[in-house]
Formats: sequence, C-alpha cells, structure tokens
Amino acid sequence: MTAWGDVGVGDELPVLEVPMTATRIVAGAIATRDFMPVHHDRDYANVQGAPDIFMNIISTNAYCCRFLTDWAGPETMITRLAVRLGVPVFPGSTLTFTGRVTATERREGEGVVEVEFRAANDLGDHVTGTATLSLPLDARV
Amino acid sequence: MADDSSTLRDRLDALIGAPLGANAEAVAPDPVNQPMIRHWAAAFEDANPVYVDPEAAARTRFGAIVSPPVMLQTWTLPTPTITGMAERGGSPVETTGESPLKVLDDAGFVATLASNSEFEIERYVRLGERLSASTVVESISEEKQTRLGPGYFVTWVTSFHDEAGDVVGRQRFRVLKFKPEGSGA
Repeated sequence: MTAWGDVGVGDELPVLEVPMTATRIVAGAIATRDFMPVHHDRDYANVQGAPDIFMNIISTNAYCCRFLTDWAGPETMITRLAVRLGVPVFPGSTLTFTGRVTATERREGEGVVEVEFRAANDLGDHVTGTATLSLPLDARV
Repeated sequence: MADDSSTLRDRLDALIGAPLGANAEAVAPDPVNQPMIRHWAAAFEDANPVYVDPEAAARTRFGAIVSPPVMLQTWTLPTPTITGMAERGGSPVETTGESPLKVLDDAGFVATLASNSEFEIERYVRLGERLSASTVVESISEEKQTRLGPGYFVTWVTSFHDEAGDVVGRQRFRVLKFKPEGSGA
C-alpha cells in the first residue's frame, strides 16, 4: 500500500516478473475477448510467420496496470497509460516490469504521480511507457 | 508512379477525421459485470480488491466495485463469429467499410505492426454500466522509410462513452502499415 505522502521522485517500483506460458497468453486473450488466432493457435501463428502464439496488446495493458497498482494500491486511479510497443511476448520467456517515479505533484484534493516503466524479456523491450496515477492525499487504506 | 502516389494520398486524406470502418460505432454487448471482471483479474493474477471484493472496494474512494480501466476496450469489442475466422484473415468479425487500413492493403502496404497505445481515463466505470465506443481516424503520416520497409503510420482514437454520452476514457492507437522488405527479419 502506497500513501501519497511517502512517494518521492526516483523511487523504484517493486519489480514484477511474469513467467510466460501458453496458458497465461491464452487466458489473457480470452479474458480480454481478443479472439485473433495468433494469440491462441500456434499453427495459425506459424503460418503468419511467428514462431509461436504471442500475447495480445490488451493483455499487455492489463499487466501494466497490475504492475502499477500492485505498488500504488487499491486507492489508485490510473488516469493515463501510454506505451510504445516493441518485441513480442512468446511462451517460455519471463516478462520483467521495472519502473520509477519521475514526478509528483499535489493538485486539488489529489496527489499525482508520474511513472516511467518498461517490460522486457529475452528479446528486448516489449513495452516502454509512462503512466499518470492519482492518489487521494490521505490514502492509507 | 507519382500519379498513383498522389491518388493514394488523396484517398488517405479523405479518410482522416472519418469513422474507422463499418464497426467504428460499437455498443457493448453486455453491461460492465462481475463475472467478466473476475475472469480478467484471474487471467492476470491482479489482486487489486477494487475489482472483485465489494467490501474492500466500498472502503476506497471508488465506494464500490469498478472495472479495470483498460478493460474499456474489452467491454466494447464485438461478439466474435468463430466460424470462418481463419478465412477472414483472423478477424473475429466481418469487417466492411472504407478504412485507411484497407486502402493501404490494396496499395501493397499489407503488413501491420502495432506501434503505440495511449489510454486517458476520465473515470472508472461500475457494474451495470452499458458502454459504447466510437473510433475516428486521427492522422495518417507521409510515406516513411522504416527498417521494416516503406510504410505509413495510421493513428486512430476510440472514445468510450457511458449511457449519458459522457466520455469515460479514450484510447489512441497507432499502427505502421508497411510493405515488407527483404527476408522480413
């Protein structure tokens, strides 16, 4: 649980490591209602030139949100999430999220936190991004 | 050659500001609901209690269960038609209507690479809300030489609305439509 008053520029977010499996990728695709076959059918992915199924972008965004709120807690409102997409996520790799606080600002009734982060695997950066979080000034649930 | 190119540019310019294809206006098939949120939270092992625990959610600023913010896209996706999906090139539904993606496909820029996603969230939505989405083409770049081959960056913006018509969030999405060069490596 993170309280707004305890957040400082340069703070590192706890690392999130997600060991990717076909099950995880398919579970994400179906939970996000993304039925594109490249996210659940390896034969289809192979025909498209990919070595295996790969994670869909809605799942990427979902993991980014989890990474942010695992740290910032249930009072967090994510008001902006901007990612640049890089290498794919295939089964068998570990996706590792790292990030740090780049700015904090007190606004009317809320504390605003800017975070920059990346999620990388053995191929390189899957995403690099920035997010804006809003926390209540007295957040300590 | 130059003539073809200017014709392509004219066709692309005519689509900037227009809805993206025939599915540009979407009404969520179901209201925001707990079973789908629980499924989502389980798939991503997201333990944030505001998604699944009514009592814990009630103690937060939200006051009740809320949807994961980036689930806006999921709520408003069309119900897939499983039959014929491979024949449709993997598209879960029949796609029709004029769109820059189709125009670029027809001009030989057949490959697609997603490049950026930017969500802006105005508020978190609650159980029972019925959302809708509208998608508009925001910009189409000049032809660029990328390391994958020549291509165009196409950017669209989806606005997510509640039943009152108020915007609850937006997603800006950018893809590169390109002509694959070399071995495709």
